[in-house]
Amino acid sequence: MSEQRITLTVNGENIEFEAPARKLLSDALREDCGLTGTHVGCEHGVCGACTVLVDGRPQRSCLCFAVQMEGHEIETIESVGTPQRLSVLQQALHECHGLQCGFCTPGIVMTFEPFLQEHPEPSEAQVREALSGNLCRCTGYQSIVDAILLAARRLREGAAS
Amino acid sequence: MSGAAFRSIGRHEPRREDARLLTGRGRYIDDIAVPGALHACFVRSPHAHARIVSIDTAAARALPGVVAVYTGRDIAPHTTRHRMAPPIEGLQPVESDTLPVGKVRFQGDPVACVIATDRYLAEDAAERVEVEYEVLPAVATIAQALAADAPRVDDALPSNLLSHQHATHGEVDAAMRGAFRVIESSFSMQRQTHLPIETRGCIASWDAGREHLLFQVGTQVPHPYRTTLAGRLRLSESQVTIVSPDVGGGFGQKIALYREELTVAVAAMLLERPVRWREDRMENLLASSQAREDDCRTRVAVDAQGRILALELEILEDFGAYSFYPGNYLARVVAMIVTGPYRIANYRYDVKVVLSNKVGNGPMRAPMAITSWLMDGTLDEVARELGLDPVAVRRLNMLQPRDYPHTMATGEVLADITPRETFEGVLAAIGYEAFRARQAQARRRGEVLGLGLCTVVESTTYGSKFYKAAGIPGSGHEAAWVRIEPSGAVNASVGLGATGQGYETALAQAVAEGLGVPSSCVKIHLGHTDIAPYGMGSRGARGGTAGGGTLYLCAQQARRTVLAIAAHRLQAPLDAVRLQDGRVQRHEEGAWQDAGLALADLARLAYLDPLALPPGMSPGLEFHQSYEPPPMTYSNSSHACIVRLDVATGAVHIERYVAAEDCGTVLSPVVVEGQQHGAIAMGLSGSLMEHVVYDPATGQNLSGSLADYLVATAHEIPRIELIPMHTPSRATPAGIKGMAEGGVMGSIGALMNAVNDALAPFGVRADRQPLSPTYLRSLLRGKQATENKQ
Amino acid sequence: MKPAAFDYHRPASVDEALGLLARLGVDAKLLAGGQSLVPMMNMRLASPAHLVDLNDLSELAQLRVSGDRLEVGALARHRTLAESPLVAEHCPLLAQAARTIGHGAIRERGTLGGSLAHADPAAQHTLAAVTLGARLTLAHQGGRRVVDAEDFLRSAMTTALEADEIVLSVSYPRLAAGEVSAYRMFNQRHGDYAIVAVAATLLLRQGRVESLRLGVGGVAPVPQRLDAATQPFLGRAASVDWVAEVARAARDAVTPEDQPRVPALLRKELTETLVARALARCLERSGVSA
Repeated sequence: MSEQRITLTVNGENIEFEAPARKLLSDALREDCGLTGTHVGCEHGVCGACTVLVDGRPQRSCLCFAVQMEGHEIETIESVGTPQRLSVLQQALHECHGLQCGFCTPGIVMTFEPFLQEHPEPSEAQVREALSGNLCRCTGYQSIVDAILLAARRLREGAAS
Repeated sequence: MSGAAFRSIGRHEPRREDARLLTGRGRYIDDIAVPGALHACFVRSPHAHARIVSIDTAAARALPGVVAVYTGRDIAPHTTRHRMAPPIEGLQPVESDTLPVGKVRFQGDPVACVIATDRYLAEDAAERVEVEYEVLPAVATIAQALAADAPRVDDALPSNLLSHQHATHGEVDAAMRGAFRVIESSFSMQRQTHLPIETRGCIASWDAGREHLLFQVGTQVPHPYRTTLAGRLRLSESQVTIVSPDVGGGFGQKIALYREELTVAVAAMLLERPVRWREDRMENLLASSQAREDDCRTRVAVDAQGRILALELEILEDFGAYSFYPGNYLARVVAMIVTGPYRIANYRYDVKVVLSNKVGNGPMRAPMAITSWLMDGTLDEVARELGLDPVAVRRLNMLQPRDYPHTMATGEVLADITPRETFEGVLAAIGYEAFRARQAQARRRGEVLGLGLCTVVESTTYGSKFYKAAGIPGSGHEAAWVRIEPSGAVNASVGLGATGQGYETALAQAVAEGLGVPSSCVKIHLGHTDIAPYGMGSRGARGGTAGGGTLYLCAQQARRTVLAIAAHRLQAPLDAVRLQDGRVQRHEEGAWQDAGLALADLARLAYLDPLALPPGMSPGLEFHQSYEPPPMTYSNSSHACIVRLDVATGAVHIERYVAAEDCGTVLSPVVVEGQQHGAIAMGLSGSLMEHVVYDPATGQNLSGSLADYLVATAHEIPRIELIPMHTPSRATPAGIKGMAEGGVMGSIGALMNAVNDALAPFGVRADRQPLSPTYLRSLLRGKQATENKQ
Repeated sequence: MKPAAFDYHRPASVDEALGLLARLGVDAKLLAGGQSLVPMMNMRLASPAHLVDLNDLSELAQLRVSGDRLEVGALARHRTLAESPLVAEHCPLLAQAARTIGHGAIRERGTLGGSLAHADPAAQHTLAAVTLGARLTLAHQGGRRVVDAEDFLRSAMTTALEADEIVLSVSYPRLAAGEVSAYRMFNQRHGDYAIVAVAATLLLRQGRVESLRLGVGGVAPVPQRLDAATQPFLGRAASVDWVAEVARAARDAVTPEDQPRVPALLRKELTETLVARALARCLERSGVSA
């Protein structure tokens, strides 16, 4: 039950550290990989704030152990855009005021980056359905929904041109 | 000051906060790395009410990585006791230990604190702390609290009645006797919790050499927090610095100094090592302040037309076990403003607040949330009882524009508000008449629709005069500084605490407006008590009026000085120069022309060539201002909601939601819109599904996870249509009125009234929340809709 | 909310996994999707000394048609089942139920085997398995056995799975020609467990009911298949009235217990409502206008 050497592939980089098997992926990302953009909101899989991508698919990082993720590719919010160059979705969230305190935001971005790839023309109902796995206490969701629909439109236009 | 004259205020400016928050580069408390910091974890009572017989920490201390375990007895010598004893008639003074020593008063009450090298090990050790309890009978409901032989939650008090306040204004009894009808209605709101997505947390670092405590904590009120923390630790305020980083929501839960944070500070001082704590979600649901548990009853005397002749209001509130706040405060505000936009001169209220073996209450976004439901719900009952149209009853009783300023029965003065206008605005937007026709048709098809209305008069910014008149200690002022740097950059600060309101953007607009520079030149600094001036912080909806107002006034002060320098430099009369977008303009030949001077030029003079300043003027460009707002500032809104009930299952579907609002001058329209969405969503979520449930037999908290405490998702919250109808205040800087909570008040009222409009043909009424399928089915079971009602 | 310490094992083959279980017995817990287990571990409601991670066992994620049955590997993710053309064609009820589980991120990870082994009374997969008459293939180091779903599910959160066993796969009957299905659930908030759920399959022959399977979840410790109650309704013409009668019979057949927040009466009412809605959908899918 002691510490073991774990190697995670995060945002394209291999990061090696020592941690016990019980260390949650969310904590390992934040503490051992120094990537604090992934937030912890509930530790029982309901709020969605800790969502990251594993092999391109959204996953609650509070519901798996870091050691399980060896051999998989993890992407966190830090891999999506920078302050100087936001992704299409991030830019839309910015323009639509789709965040207030920002705590739930990385989880939402990580949920919807793949969603937008798979659903180029989502309906509002589909967006709300997909968004229902991320809790937000500040915005009332509307501006987030608008941002996602705007991003979808822009991605379609970008793909068309 | 009309909106058309503003250059910065009122513009849609995308937020500066976003760049870091969108890309995961925010800095919340748990993100801050502090090398060598130890982690705290609290041992909590599994019982609602119990004597602490003994605590054995030996096994815990023996675990690897555990540095210390502190109990209430260990902490007590290092802090003062918590005393909440404002001089308010009818309010019992209360005192408690930092961590309980004698007994625990709610499930989750912290009894010991483990300090270890990481949180995982600390939780292991917390499981090994052996506490022997003698379980006591728990008080888990208001009725139990008031029973003659009730167990006492606070042994120092004669009963569980914490506060009792009552007053009569006008001739209530006479009006009741002379009434055409007296109608009684009940309204119960369930216990809720704030649920910010970021839970509480703090980092304490004690510099033993300097004898200085750096305390990093997400707080809405940095300076009052510092004063309280220093006082409890018997330190001078000079020995404590509070730094509040990015905060993931507060909603009122991050105002009080809680026992856990205080204990962490003590631990850091004793160990002379930094100590940090992150509350987990289970703890947040068990032990962070809760809110709203009120049972209310109104009695109205009405004439045959539905005019209100008198109103009686009775409130019973379950305050929990500890007073993180004065017990009278929340209920008292409800009683004081409940009459809102309606003409009611004869008014009596009776407010009782009781203690129970639950977590102590705190103000939760719109602590007075039940107010508008009480008032508009009562009007709906009048309409139903007398067979009148609810809109007609409201129009009959609502104050007219010419009635303002209006002094309410309680002495509160309403001015510069427009409830009549927003009411008519929302009626038009929702299509009231057309809905009634559609509702009737739907009924014939067996479809159950309802429409609810609610007009809100929201008290946003409390001035010192209000506190004094209400007997509540405290100040309503705010303080700001503005500094123009030699390069012309502008830094500014105010005592507010940011928890997502976009202050960095909106407040920059207020400064830019007051000074005459582009908002991009202005940087706002918040949350650090060595930097920010002493202000009362962010609570209620005071950010705009108190914070924005103070900054605006301070920036105007700066502008006057800057223009004096410009006038002197240009040898021009003072009224012939102005600053616009950071450049001096001079009025020449009938027009404003660029004078060839930028703010930077004037700043350089002030800092580096002071001999060239106007005679008598001191060097530098740093300004300080405090501002006392009017006793009370109000904004108003009217809400309309259409629902569809699935009678078979008891499910409520919100089909449409519209709100018309007047928040005065708006600093940032996009921020205000977001606040309104968020407030409305919180009210709807609370009404639909939130509920902190305590077992009435044992006092156990049954809502310890997010699978039990339900919060609405994007699937349940509808699209919200907002109609801005802003008119400026004549009593505040730039005409700001503020907002943030009215949406909670309005949505609760609108939704409840809509559901009751839908239920009316069945002869039943929802008088409590949440509107769970279980509750609605219990009302509808065995009932048939009859044609004639409404 | 950090879990207690455990030894972590990551077998590379089913045999290795079974060997571990044989050795570790009751001290070991199987980790599949983790969407139910890890929250419990984080809350310290479960603190196994050993965790055996099954996620590398890709042979357990296969889907294939085998005679008149569809065989689904225990490690198949909810999302896979929700979107698989094979499942849509041969056993659509499985997809209809799977697509309602939780939220997207949960469906990415959660597994069929994990859900069945967890045995929540209100879960989608347990209801679908009982309604369809699924069969589970269990393996231990010494061999295998096949258990019917209704024998596998013993009570709430309790199954026939021995401490040294793993669910390998689950087989479902393939849809007959002309057969349709529907799944309906009721909860207070999107994505939550059902308060009551109904799964139905219907086969009409010239407008008459040739076969009907009806299962209800959330009204008993294990999902209930209402064969006895629905028997009298076979052979009749399918119609709106028929649907209403079956729904009433279903309501009368279930015997839920009162619980603090949900009275038994409400569960009975929801049973009737959801059966009516599920069967109405089945009629629609069969081309009968309601």
